[in-house]
Amino acid sequence: MVTLDVRPQLIDALSALRDRVAAARFPLPLAGAPRARANRDELLAQLDDYLVPRLKDPEAPLLAVVGGSTGAGKSTLVNSLVGRRVSEAGVLRPTTRTPVLVCHPEDHHWFSGMRVLPDLTRVWVPQQEPGDDMLLPGEDPARVLRVETTESLPRGLALLDAPDIDSLVADNRVLAAELICAADIWIMVTTAARYADAVPWHLLRTAKEYDVTLVTVLDRVPHQVVSEVSRQYGALLTKAGLGHVPRFTVPELPESAWGGGLLPATAVAPLRTWLVHQAQDSAARHQVMARTAYGVLDSLKSRMPELASAAAAQYAAATRLTAAVEAAYDSEHARVRSRLQSGAVLAGDALKRWRAFPLDCTAGELLDALSESLTTLLVCAVTAADDRVDESWRREPAAAAPTLRDRDPTAESVEHRIGLAVRRWRRELEECAEDEVRELDKGATLDPEAVAALVATALLGGRRARAAGERLAGRLGAHGALRLRDRGGRLLTEHLDRAVHAERERRLAPLDALDVHPEPQAELIAALSVLQKER
Amino acid sequence: MTAATDQDHEPGATEPAEGEDGVPEASGAGAEEEAAQTEEGREEDDGVWDDGLIARRMNDTAEEQQPVSAVESRASVPQTPTTLAFDGPLRSRLDALRELVGLSRTRLDSRTLAEAGRVLDEAAARRRLSGQHTVVAIAGATGSGKSQLFNALAGLTISETGVRRPTTSAPIACSWSDGAAPLIDRLGIPPRLRRRPAQHADPDGQLRGLVLVDLPDHDSAAVQHREQVDRVLALVDAVVWVVDPEKYADAVLHERYLRPMAGHAEIMFVVLNQVDRLPGEAAEQVLDDLRRLLDEDGIALGEYGEPGATVLALSALTGDGVGELRESLGQFVAERGAAARRISADVDAAGWELRPVYASSGRTGLSEAAREEFADRLADAVGATAAGEAAERAWLRNANRACGTPWLRLWRWYQDRLEPPTGRLPLRAQADEEATARQRVEQAVRTVAERACAGLPAPWAQAVREAAVRGSQGLPEALDELAARAGLPPGRPPRPGWWPAAVLVQASMTLLQVVGGLWLVAQIVGVMSPNLGVPVLLMVAGIVGGPLVEWGCRMAARGPARRYGMDAERRLREAAAGCGRARVLDPVAAELLRYREVREQYGKVMGVGA
Repeated sequence: MVTLDVRPQLIDALSALRDRVAAARFPLPLAGAPRARANRDELLAQLDDYLVPRLKDPEAPLLAVVGGSTGAGKSTLVNSLVGRRVSEAGVLRPTTRTPVLVCHPEDHHWFSGMRVLPDLTRVWVPQQEPGDDMLLPGEDPARVLRVETTESLPRGLALLDAPDIDSLVADNRVLAAELICAADIWIMVTTAARYADAVPWHLLRTAKEYDVTLVTVLDRVPHQVVSEVSRQYGALLTKAGLGHVPRFTVPELPESAWGGGLLPATAVAPLRTWLVHQAQDSAARHQVMARTAYGVLDSLKSRMPELASAAAAQYAAATRLTAAVEAAYDSEHARVRSRLQSGAVLAGDALKRWRAFPLDCTAGELLDALSESLTTLLVCAVTAADDRVDESWRREPAAAAPTLRDRDPTAESVEHRIGLAVRRWRRELEECAEDEVRELDKGATLDPEAVAALVATALLGGRRARAAGERLAGRLGAHGALRLRDRGGRLLTEHLDRAVHAERERRLAPLDALDVHPEPQAELIAALSVLQKER
Repeated sequence: MTAATDQDHEPGATEPAEGEDGVPEASGAGAEEEAAQTEEGREEDDGVWDDGLIARRMNDTAEEQQPVSAVESRASVPQTPTTLAFDGPLRSRLDALRELVGLSRTRLDSRTLAEAGRVLDEAAARRRLSGQHTVVAIAGATGSGKSQLFNALAGLTISETGVRRPTTSAPIACSWSDGAAPLIDRLGIPPRLRRRPAQHADPDGQLRGLVLVDLPDHDSAAVQHREQVDRVLALVDAVVWVVDPEKYADAVLHERYLRPMAGHAEIMFVVLNQVDRLPGEAAEQVLDDLRRLLDEDGIALGEYGEPGATVLALSALTGDGVGELRESLGQFVAERGAAARRISADVDAAGWELRPVYASSGRTGLSEAAREEFADRLADAVGATAAGEAAERAWLRNANRACGTPWLRLWRWYQDRLEPPTGRLPLRAQADEEATARQRVEQAVRTVAERACAGLPAPWAQAVREAAVRGSQGLPEALDELAARAGLPPGRPPRPGWWPAAVLVQASMTLLQVVGGLWLVAQIVGVMSPNLGVPVLLMVAGIVGGPLVEWGCRMAARGPARRYGMDAERRLREAAAGCGRARVLDPVAAELLRYREVREQYGKVMGVGA
């Protein structure tokens, strides 16, 4: 027999693992991401709602959650087990929107606190007007848990009536899944008309996967066909490998007709007896608890690596995206440099100005034309890089994340930013030229702006501007000209690198903001292995 | 929980299968036959399941059981020549859709167009077949009583009913009149599963022309059932959705079937079966709730004479309300409009699906301002403005030099000799390679492409961008060549008519100075009689007049200089703009025109452009 033997180290390891799971994020919309997010939420809910509280307080009452499709008669079943109407039953679907927990008054303290299901608000309205709570607008009915107490349940057992697992209301589906995960005993209710539905079978398979303590109830079976339907259902269960699961059959009786009243005690007696036995017989109780707890612990072995691999996929995708950006900007950067060297800036307007300089064109005009041309070159490079990034990102599903796709429309344009950088470079170049001219003895006769224009032409014009270099040497002397050109060249490289780098960082910023790291994968696996060791 | 999350993903997963379903019917039929045979084999092993839906009702149906009439044999069927005729609007919409698909093939990927293509194929296929018949499928969840309703309408037990879930595993067809065989062939239902209704079931021929198809369930764990349902639902003319009080709010039904088919409300019946299981006024409550859910799904309800889905409550078991359904079905079939309405709804759905690739936001097209801007940018790229200004200044400079005083010219000449000549004639002579600024051309093309595809749906914007980029290849080289050709004509720039006169006046001023000077010198030497007044006057006139004339000429030369510069600028600008128009703007405009054409077709498909 399995017993629940809990050491504090195990709980510590489990808490650490819980924190790791809580920290895992899957922000990139990869194919597996929605599933990973759902798995993470589900695992987190199961750890918070069930596993940790159960291991901390093994003596807490057993929680049996009644789950099933809409219209399966879950509420009627709970009401009949308790012996009074605690949960609203009715003909309109979905009926139960607020989950109801029923327990013995002395067990009330176990559930009134936030020990289990910590993110559900508790309400203690003993009797509500029928149909009242489900229609109240404004309040979010999905995040509320109603706690009822009744003497007719034995101590050490609590029943929870969950919403439909296939509800039309998506929130209800999520809540139902969360509640079922919090159970020590899963009571799966299906009906004669439903036992072959796909949805409940998903749930049964999940139950099998986690190896939890499972009971199935075949509800609303017309008594003439009880044996046939029950046999069919049993065959299906056996085929699915669930033949050993306790199976109870509840007939459809006129008095149960659509929420009218309670089923007679005899109809649910076998189920009730079984549940009471599990709650009161300490050996059985232990076994039930241990089986579900260990089942969930064992399921971690496959669920954690799944999460870890999803985290790894996220990181790999983020790396690919970053690499695409870097490759695009690097290649454009190289292209800009080679274009600069070949003198592409000194073309068009700038070239015409240079041809006319100094007779028909002032130094200021030449500098204007040159910086405008340089700005255009850089803007083109940045835009081309952005286009390349867009194109390679289009092939990546991860790039569809909203923060990556929608760029900030309020941000100033790339023209503006590059223009600013180029103007700054021009100012610094002019200052350099002034310094150089001032150092010269005959500086008084030289126009620093003309010198700046010559340096700029010599730097940006490539071979085409050889004359500019010669003229500069003529004015400043070979040594001075060389020094000025060196300084200007350094300034140019510096500003160019800085501008391209800044643009690249801008492009990467939203991706960085998503905070995708390689660590979660390793941490998840490490937490799991620590937990394995502590068992 | 896995159950819940799986549930969310499933609709997406089934979609591709749906898209392909329409075509392979012949192969599908064979496979089904096999499946049906194995199903039957298993039945015999399992024992008898010849009772009613739920066993407590099994006794009631007993008297209805009659020997099933002979399978409809194809040989005996006279092929009805009357094929389906569509009305004008629908025909033109289908034509427009075909046109649209044809026009878009090269721009959109085949996956986007697959659904539209399927609708066209199905419409064509349906059109070739009988217009006298209406194919109605009975669909619903397992255990809702589809087969029982089918049997109730047919008047005999054709479709097996039972408590074993799921019961029906292959579609069964029942035709109320002859000539429906090709229609049933299209559904891929083998002859073995074709039936005729009982003679007494339809004495007054109310349901004449009806072909009823009983479908398997769509929600059981047997996945192949769902596939069959999806396949047949895409082909039938109308659907009767059977729901029951237990399952009417199932997420599967609403999310996977009713919501996507909301546009097909007019060919939809929603039937709440098993009302006999509900006590008293509960039936009415449930029916209201069902109406509410349908409304939330976006399905128009056919109340108060408006077109929409018909919602009924009935009990196939007791027969309550079956007559009503029979009546409305009969009316529906007699109208013979279901097939056309279904296809029309299909076209609507396909059109809505295609909306993101056709509908534009705001005004599209290339504005005059954008064209202007493009020309300006190209002019910048070849340096038109700078060239114009340089030409203007050079002309002015030459004019000044020509009309300046000779002394000034002498001094300038001396200055020039000191400095090495740069920036002027010797450099201008050499031909530049890559005189056009590549980056400016690139920017111009990109900007104009951005402007042109503003508001266009993504595939068309991409096409416009590609057209622009393709056109811009070789554009800089062309502009290089053009700039060399379209520059100022070689040789001396033109001179205004007054220029020789000005030069003459300037020369005479100099002459006056020289004459006055010589006269004075002669007086000093004593060759001539001393007369101070006239020579000094002459000299002063020459000295003052020279600069005056120079100044006057400079003022006068401004106008021609500007004209000359403007001329130089205009030549380059126009040449560049012409080149850009031919290479970039025209292909872009052609692409935009193509889009507009497609947009118009799309409007016709959606029934607004007509």
